[in-house]
Amino acid sequence: MSEEHKVSLANFFIFNSAYGPREGEEEKKILFYYPDNEDVDRKIKDVGLCEAVITFAGTFTDETCNSVHCQKTRQLFYQPEKDFWMIMTVRIPYSTKTKDNQRYVEYHEDDVQDSIFEAVLKQAYRMFKLFMGTFGYTVERGSIQNLSDKLRHFFSRYLQTLKLDQCDLLDICCGIQFLPLDKNTYLRIQCLINLLESHFPQVKYTAFLYNDQLVWSGLEQDDMRIMYRYLTTSLFPSVTPMEQEFQPGLTHYGRYTTGPSDLNDPSKPGKIPKVFVNTDTQNEACHLLVYRALSASLCLFVDASYQLQFDFFKEVDSFLGPQLSHVASDIRDQYSKRPQSSGEPQFKYIYFNHMNLAQKTTIHSDSNRKSANINVSPDTLRLISDMNSDLMKDGEDSETIVKACNDCWVVGKKSDEREFYVVINQKNANLTEINEEVKRLCTTSFANIFFLD
Amino acid sequence: MDTSLDEVRCRHTSGTISEIASHSREGSKDDEENQPQLPRNSTELSNDLNELSVEDSDDSAFAEPPKSPRLVPPDLDFGEDVTSEDWRTHKKHIFILSDAGKPIYSRYGNEDKLVTIMGVMQALVSFVQDSDNVLRCIVAGKQKYVFLVREHLILVTVARSHESYQQLAFQLTYVYNQIVSVLTYTQMARIFQQRRNYDLRRLLAGAEKLIDNLCNLMDHEPSFLLGAVRCLPLASPVRDVISQTIVQHAAKIKDLVFAILIANNQLISLVRMKKYLLHPADLHLIFNLVSASESFKAAESWAPICLPKFDSSGYLHAHVSYLDEKCHTCMLLLTVDRDMFFPLSECRQRILERLQRHNCLSYISESLARTNYTVSQVGIMDLRHFMYKSRSSAQYTSPELEAPYASKEEQERLYGLYLYLHHRIHSVSRPLRLLFHVGAYETLLGWVTSGFELYTVFGPLVTKPTAINSINRLLKWIKREEDRLFILNGPTF
Repeated sequence: MSEEHKVSLANFFIFNSAYGPREGEEEKKILFYYPDNEDVDRKIKDVGLCEAVITFAGTFTDETCNSVHCQKTRQLFYQPEKDFWMIMTVRIPYSTKTKDNQRYVEYHEDDVQDSIFEAVLKQAYRMFKLFMGTFGYTVERGSIQNLSDKLRHFFSRYLQTLKLDQCDLLDICCGIQFLPLDKNTYLRIQCLINLLESHFPQVKYTAFLYNDQLVWSGLEQDDMRIMYRYLTTSLFPSVTPMEQEFQPGLTHYGRYTTGPSDLNDPSKPGKIPKVFVNTDTQNEACHLLVYRALSASLCLFVDASYQLQFDFFKEVDSFLGPQLSHVASDIRDQYSKRPQSSGEPQFKYIYFNHMNLAQKTTIHSDSNRKSANINVSPDTLRLISDMNSDLMKDGEDSETIVKACNDCWVVGKKSDEREFYVVINQKNANLTEINEEVKRLCTTSFANIFFLD
Repeated sequence: MDTSLDEVRCRHTSGTISEIASHSREGSKDDEENQPQLPRNSTELSNDLNELSVEDSDDSAFAEPPKSPRLVPPDLDFGEDVTSEDWRTHKKHIFILSDAGKPIYSRYGNEDKLVTIMGVMQALVSFVQDSDNVLRCIVAGKQKYVFLVREHLILVTVARSHESYQQLAFQLTYVYNQIVSVLTYTQMARIFQQRRNYDLRRLLAGAEKLIDNLCNLMDHEPSFLLGAVRCLPLASPVRDVISQTIVQHAAKIKDLVFAILIANNQLISLVRMKKYLLHPADLHLIFNLVSASESFKAAESWAPICLPKFDSSGYLHAHVSYLDEKCHTCMLLLTVDRDMFFPLSECRQRILERLQRHNCLSYISESLARTNYTVSQVGIMDLRHFMYKSRSSAQYTSPELEAPYASKEEQERLYGLYLYLHHRIHSVSRPLRLLFHVGAYETLLGWVTSGFELYTVFGPLVTKPTAINSINRLLKWIKREEDRLFILNGPTF
């Protein structure tokens, strides 16, 4: 009889040693701790151990502490801003077997990869920063207590959304799926956005998405990256996709995703999130107004210093509504002409470009991982992450081909700023044959990209 | 109480020595009266334990008698300055402390000056233990701090080298086994049971240089990584004569378990009791003992040695001597019986005479004088270096390091590449059969089958078909030379 226990979150806390330097004041260091109902002494001990580890690690190196490996747990460390430490502890997955009335426990330390969970921790910070600004920002403008409250408000919800056992290489890439469009449509969209921004100067930045794919963004890359993640994993899925029938009285399909749902009712302006971007300067506060027509979404980042008037909503709606609907239906028509692939993809691969953050995967059935479907084994996916760590460490262009014990071949290539991993399940193939297969894939799907041979 | 599989794997073997001893005792009672006096250079540790005094343990075969608990003999310098930047930036520190935080050993610097930092290490370990957990490793950029807790000892390495965390933990296990080899597991357990604060340095006097030597060897010797030994290349008829000579004379001595002939950290011959195997890890400790001890060169010696994989509870006793004047070839005769020095000395004499008659020693000297074969002699273009391990016999072969790996930095970098290959191929949860990697300066190919492990390094521009071709030619070459490079049949008695 055996049981499997997956990786899970043990605790997550944020502290700043400078806030409680004297003895007896340790509790003041702790800005946030999950689970909240943990004993106070336990919380203080946990923070104390982390401080001791950081100091100890510092005796031999100036490099920052990344992680602590224990038999049953893995603890990740991240210092996003000076003196603010974020710590995430996960429980190592284990299996229990009962044999001859003895219970054996085996911990699968190898299944938890530092690079992946460090990325998850970084993302948690970036997501907080998106909605609340940096830690320093809140402390300067308000107080330490304000920061504590904001951390609690945000993380107690965010941590519930973490699916740790589904984290993999894509969390490290944190990339964006782009929608390739023909030049004409692309230029039309550009024009629309330019007109919009000149008409409405309060709109600082804009981003255009079709379904879950990005077409254009005026935001700086790191901002767009985390915004994209929020939009595709949180905002868009939460909106009930109402099939927009053409109704008499409506001249277009446009409606607000965040904003008033009924433009005739000024009493309900709708929920409009405030976000902080860092494109022009640090901590630029903006209202996030998302307007959608059919499958096209336009995200307007409106300067937060501008008070959103109901008239503004109406003006934007009448400006955008018809034009966006037009563009959206054109794209839809184009799409329906393209041959749809169904079933198993011909090649199983993951591609990521560090320069533009473009990401493509045929290993995950759904790139934004709302479902957990992958068409390779979890060990194979971990092999890919191993390769990624090795390739990143070198920094040089390189290629690695491995044959795993289940006769599965995995090829990883890094060239310029592009990474590419493909899985081939051919039992009796040899190295030369695999090489030929990969070459074929590169010429068909990645014709314009030069990979080392 | 759950038993972790780790714990099950770590349980020591014991009882093998008593098994052998009792087996022979049944037929040997009349011999005991005729035993001549033992030379007074054996360590009488088991008697001393009850008094836990230092005086009686002076006469260890491999050290000057210590005048104080300090491990550093007084005429050497006081060790490195542990507050200097140089000390801080060593590539690999190794520390040993008791689970009460008492310093026992530091590879660099005097461990007495490291009381505070060792206290911190002990505190970290015990803090984690309080939560029913075990601290394994701290990672900070390229630096790794690996912890190994074994019974009442804490071993720590602070490394910025190419090794992975598992490879570093493996090296710490070797260091621990070296200590077991000096003290035996049973005695250590007993000491700490009786006095938790006991300063283990008192019993480890002289062993510090064994640990130093072991650490230095592990930094660049592939034998530890591969779990194999290298054999001195010898024509197989010569090796046969040597082995047969040893078998003939050793078989006459009861309780003789292993007879080993080595030179320059390479194995010439290993003859054993049929029932018992010598694990490569134990053999590595024997190599280390020989290469670290100058005192064996002076005269025939009688040394207790515990082989942890063979039997961690007790000592084997080794008659150690060099067979040639230049002190290259060393012979060890290992027995369970403490009182066998003179019979073994005679045995050694007879073996030496026969080897001399057949010129074996000059063949050995010739082989030693000849440097190891070079990769150019193998004659495969683009092949720069390789390591081949035969899995069944736990032996490996590897050519001499030459250009472009002539400098120390390049050799370290090359070894780092092998570490990477080995780490990924032998991953615990996702092992590989084959690993092909094209880097900036080299192309690497690692291949593991049930019969062998092969790790090769080519020039960077080699194509895949060429690499495969070269591997096949290399395997053929090794097959042709295998008589000379490997010991194919291990004789027993």
